[in-house]
Amino acid sequence: MTAGTRPRRPRTQRFEVEGLTRVEGEGSLKLVVRDGEVVEARLGIFEAPRYFERLVQGRTPDEVLDIVARICGICPVAYQMSAVHAFEDAAGVEVDPAVRALRRLLYCGEWIESHALHVYFLHAPDFMGYASAIELARDHRVLVERALALKKAGNHLVSLVGGRPIHPVSVRVGGFYHVPTRSAMTALRPDLTAALDIALETVTIVAGLDTPDFEREPRLVSLRHPTDYPMNEGRIVSTDGLDLAPTDWEAAFEEDQVGWSNALQARTHAGEVYLLGPSSRITLAAGQLHPRAAEALAATGLAEAIRRNPFRSIVARAVELVHATALAIDIIDDYRPPERPAAPWTAGPGIAAWATEAPRGLLFHRYELDERGRVATARIVPPTSQNQAAIEADLTDFAPSVLDLPHDAATHRFEQLIRSYDPCISCATHFLDLRVDRRP
Amino acid sequence: MIPPRTVRLLVCGNADRGDDGAALAAVAGLLPCLPPHLLAVLEVRRCEQLDLEDLLDVPTCTTCVIVDTAIGLPVGSVITIPLVELPERDAAASGPNLRSTHVLPIGQLVAIAQILREHSLDGTFVGLGGRSFGFGRALGRPVRAALPAFRTAIEAALIEAATSSVTRTV
Repeated sequence: MTAGTRPRRPRTQRFEVEGLTRVEGEGSLKLVVRDGEVVEARLGIFEAPRYFERLVQGRTPDEVLDIVARICGICPVAYQMSAVHAFEDAAGVEVDPAVRALRRLLYCGEWIESHALHVYFLHAPDFMGYASAIELARDHRVLVERALALKKAGNHLVSLVGGRPIHPVSVRVGGFYHVPTRSAMTALRPDLTAALDIALETVTIVAGLDTPDFEREPRLVSLRHPTDYPMNEGRIVSTDGLDLAPTDWEAAFEEDQVGWSNALQARTHAGEVYLLGPSSRITLAAGQLHPRAAEALAATGLAEAIRRNPFRSIVARAVELVHATALAIDIIDDYRPPERPAAPWTAGPGIAAWATEAPRGLLFHRYELDERGRVATARIVPPTSQNQAAIEADLTDFAPSVLDLPHDAATHRFEQLIRSYDPCISCATHFLDLRVDRRP
Repeated sequence: MIPPRTVRLLVCGNADRGDDGAALAAVAGLLPCLPPHLLAVLEVRRCEQLDLEDLLDVPTCTTCVIVDTAIGLPVGSVITIPLVELPERDAAASGPNLRSTHVLPIGQLVAIAQILREHSLDGTFVGLGGRSFGFGRALGRPVRAALPAFRTAIEAALIEAATSSVTRTV
């Protein structure tokens, strides 16, 4: 056989990881690379559909709040908040300002819990050269203990305001079933003050981590509010000029079924991908950060890097830890129990829709209510399913820069990139395997 | 005098998520049947999703028994593993690869707890293989059928934990 007489076969490269670790939930990713170019990047979410939209049909709005909280053990508050705001907007309910503050406090607790978990236990090991949080704990015991203190501060907030640390039960349409006393709130302050110091230190630590050199120009989407950093309220805005009411997500975006995922993928009506989450919020709403968080962000000098480099999302998450902790302290200091824990309201027909900011990004709910005010149809669009297509696009863009690395190192980089988006696959799935085909 | 060691039973899972409620169902059926001397040293805690703090909170003179539904086991099969072996099992990825709905695998949680605690975490994990975790579902048939065996295994682990407590106290 004479070399060079046959056409060269394309070189195919294959990576395979069984079970991506350190993400909330499990799924799969397949990457096919031919002659150094990614020809297929698929983030598969293949848990059987959970039918929550069907489960809430025929239910009253207050029942819906408890049901949707069960979608996720990490971000149950987000599901309750999007739903309760939707129902209140539809019914024209005006809540007491103290109730509004309490809801922000509840969200602060969830952000603190979720971000502390992700920054320290799920994502930091990647940057610090550890295979898991076990090795991190062995070498940096103090760091892990501080992470636990942060997480505990968040747990206590959710427990106090929500009634229990996971799947809170206190939220109702119009307000709360029960509100904490001022003394109970004040009792949380010392732990939160300590947590704020830890959060500030966290920003310094993660800002100093080496990150892969990967930059792109993403389309970022989040809520933006005139005075508050986005949590419960604000308009849907984007880096390319979108500006919508929080009820109008469907005016700009749509969901589509893809063959490799049981979660619907969202894109703009023009078919473009977009990204949600801490980096988007920092980019689009940094002006509303708590002054302590704004200072911390400025000190890093990484605001632009957060926008362009997904690996820098760990810094965005740390800055939001500062924001949530400092805001929680302010809310506690100003707290006066509302005169009425819940405003009266009347159920009726209509469309209830709203978007709030879950730790991982914008979470949209839409309910059609029948004549009795019960849910006729429901649509729930979690942030991770909206991020799916953008993650696939980023993997495609990122792959060429690591294909020359040894197989294990390249695979690790892909996993690290996926973890940068803090996917909460549990909201939609339970299993994630990473498979990358390299085809020459 | 050394105080008697107690036994802390950590019951994991959600009653409203299909097979995830198996540990709750098993323990609910088991507790009324336990002998008084065992109940006297037993402390039962419910933790929907096992958290690191649940393990860090276990006092020094206490043996821990964790019961949960697990993925990675044949559905309806029961497994009893000393806690010290869980991290190795995770790392080796041999034998049943236990997974659960917790964010960090139970082996990692135990390993981190062992590092952060001043003293080792003694105890046992008793798991039941599950398959169906849908919200609002009841226990699946194979899991329901395995509940007696699961209860027996939990009781054996509790007796072992209490017995080892007495031995150590002596």
